[in-house]
Amino acid sequence: MRSRKRGKSVWPRGPGGGVSALSRREVLAGGIGAGALLALPDLSSGASSGARPVVSGRAAARYAFVYGTPDLDEVPSGSLVAARYPPPRAASTRPVPVATKLAAAPVSSPDHAVTALVTVDMVHGGAKVTLTLLDATGATVAKQGSLTVTGVPGDAHVLVTPVFAPGSAIVSLVLAITVPVGKHVVRKGHPDTGHPVPRLATAWRSHHALAYFDQRSGAMTGPFHLSDEPSLALSTAAANGSDLLLWTTREPQPNDPAAVQAHASLSRLSVFPLGSGKARLSTSAPAPWPGGEPVVTLPTGDVARLVRGRHVQVCSVRTGEVTELEIPALREGRAKPSAVTMQARPDGTVFMTKPGAGVAVLADAADSFRTKTHIQFPVPASPLGAPWSKAVLSPAGETMYVLGPAATGGLCAYEVGSGKLAGSYSEGRQYHGLYQLPSGALLATRPENPRLAFFSADLSPLGTADTNLHVSAIY
Amino acid sequence: MTGYDTAGRIQNTYVSAHREFGANPGFWIRYFTPSPAADLFHEAALAESRGAWDSGGPYVGCISAPRQSRLSGSAAEGHADAQAFAAALLTAYHGVRPLLLPTNGQLYCWLDQEYSTSLSTSYWSAWASYIVDYNFAGLGTYPLYPCLYCAPYSPYPNCSTIAKSRGVNKPVAIWSSTPEPCGSLTRPPRWNAAHCAVIPTRLWQFGEQGVCNLSANVDLDVGAPGFAMANYCFRLKYRP
Repeated sequence: MRSRKRGKSVWPRGPGGGVSALSRREVLAGGIGAGALLALPDLSSGASSGARPVVSGRAAARYAFVYGTPDLDEVPSGSLVAARYPPPRAASTRPVPVATKLAAAPVSSPDHAVTALVTVDMVHGGAKVTLTLLDATGATVAKQGSLTVTGVPGDAHVLVTPVFAPGSAIVSLVLAITVPVGKHVVRKGHPDTGHPVPRLATAWRSHHALAYFDQRSGAMTGPFHLSDEPSLALSTAAANGSDLLLWTTREPQPNDPAAVQAHASLSRLSVFPLGSGKARLSTSAPAPWPGGEPVVTLPTGDVARLVRGRHVQVCSVRTGEVTELEIPALREGRAKPSAVTMQARPDGTVFMTKPGAGVAVLADAADSFRTKTHIQFPVPASPLGAPWSKAVLSPAGETMYVLGPAATGGLCAYEVGSGKLAGSYSEGRQYHGLYQLPSGALLATRPENPRLAFFSADLSPLGTADTNLHVSAIY
Repeated sequence: MTGYDTAGRIQNTYVSAHREFGANPGFWIRYFTPSPAADLFHEAALAESRGAWDSGGPYVGCISAPRQSRLSGSAAEGHADAQAFAAALLTAYHGVRPLLLPTNGQLYCWLDQEYSTSLSTSYWSAWASYIVDYNFAGLGTYPLYPCLYCAPYSPYPNCSTIAKSRGVNKPVAIWSSTPEPCGSLTRPPRWNAAHCAVIPTRLWQFGEQGVCNLSANVDLDVGAPGFAMANYCFRLKYRP
């Protein structure tokens, strides 16, 4: 691998250069909450890492889904498109719209075979929650199911998190249902003058509910309402082949007794058999509060969450006991906080990144998260900004790819075994997110069109694609 | 008025910062749930508050940096993040007895939108309205005010999003992360913060540790002319 520099994009580009693999019927209609999604085909499966893949549009076997916010804020929240992998030396293709106004960010299955979208529509008598599973091989709707949460007012917020269970066809849905419990005229100080100004303020109350979707039968069961009100809507969830683990936190109340106020609310960890609304285990959980931290299901069925940017909490699914382990290489903190990511790998290792500290770690989950390798790299631009994926590991685990230094941009590759820089590519452009598609091709995202840039495993540019989305994540 | 923001521990940071800049900060801005580094104040509010007092800058400002892809999302996501933020602020307020609300009744609550993050109107509106309506500690004074940390000239939607917000959902202030000419705590650059069209920039992060090669684990911030950031932070009445 060698260092490469380019003055401009190698391949011609332009919208509409390719043929969409999606039919009109396959494109999800809008009106489903608040987001958007695009899809684009990946290389054909089986392209080996390290070799420049050869692909044709017809041979494309998988899609990548692009999640983000449309230009000019055409819709009020996230959207999804399916992006076509651009064949070498061919005009780039524009990703295909899939969905707009998503209710929450999509979630991919552990094997990346399907991507789950959730939409929420307020209907007569409640909130209709629809789960759509997109097949990555054709960007088509593989399965779809819905349920209605009755008695929910039209101005409620319903936050839905799909949770895949490795080794199970059951997809759990964690619903945070937040409803207004009072509207009062209050007097709030004007920000400029401080003079009290009357206004109508709304008070809210949240609780959780569970539902389950069986991918085989297409049946949806639930909702099972949990008696955890008042709860913070934010939660963390993970599942294994038999159980759903759910971390929640009681919302502190103004009228709590002083003894309660003096201590931070403890989170609870509850374990539900898949399909059930009744926990078989519920126990207090150590800090910090759940909400956005990376979480993975280990081969043992236990669940690990990466907290404080440096500690792994391994939760026994059998007893609920939590073992906390520090990852020494992640200890360093800087003034600027960093994104953190954690991914479980098929070989039982776990790959963690902390780009704001310029470090990535490969740890052995079966050996108390012992660090097998840690790689240091220059901090890339916007280490906390979206997308949070700034560094990825090749499928064989031999090469780590990371966004280039803030000063130069581009991409870098490191040998995992030695931790040494193996190659780099820079054309002076800053990329903000980096993904590796199942084929082994790299997909980097940038602010202006062409926002999607493809690279081979040896960092050769393969092509680009335009999209109307400001990219927040790739699935 | 100049001060610091940092994802490090105040009590482990202020001595080296004082050594580097030779002065006390006017304020500290801390990360609160949901956010990386939120554990520092959430799990050690007393030690952090003592650090702020001992630093000579007994004012604690509040920012939350949720997982950034969520900022492109839905109203339900914005509402949930704001709810957790407010709860974390309340927990800190109750956990440290001398940690008081600002005397002017306005606690600025910053949402961290990084350079490469897109902010959707659904997310912002729900986030801001929850903050505005939060009956903090049951006081009935509604002291939380939504504000936005961003890079106004970023190509990602930020100013254009908040320009569409209405009434009290408009952010009260912008904290700009650009440009970054660097400087020091005692010699900040002349006011030249980037700004959005309709919302005033009142705080400017003019020097990040990494960009400006600061040895202390802090980023440097300065208020707009005539604006004292400390007046919009939690204040410590005495050493906890």
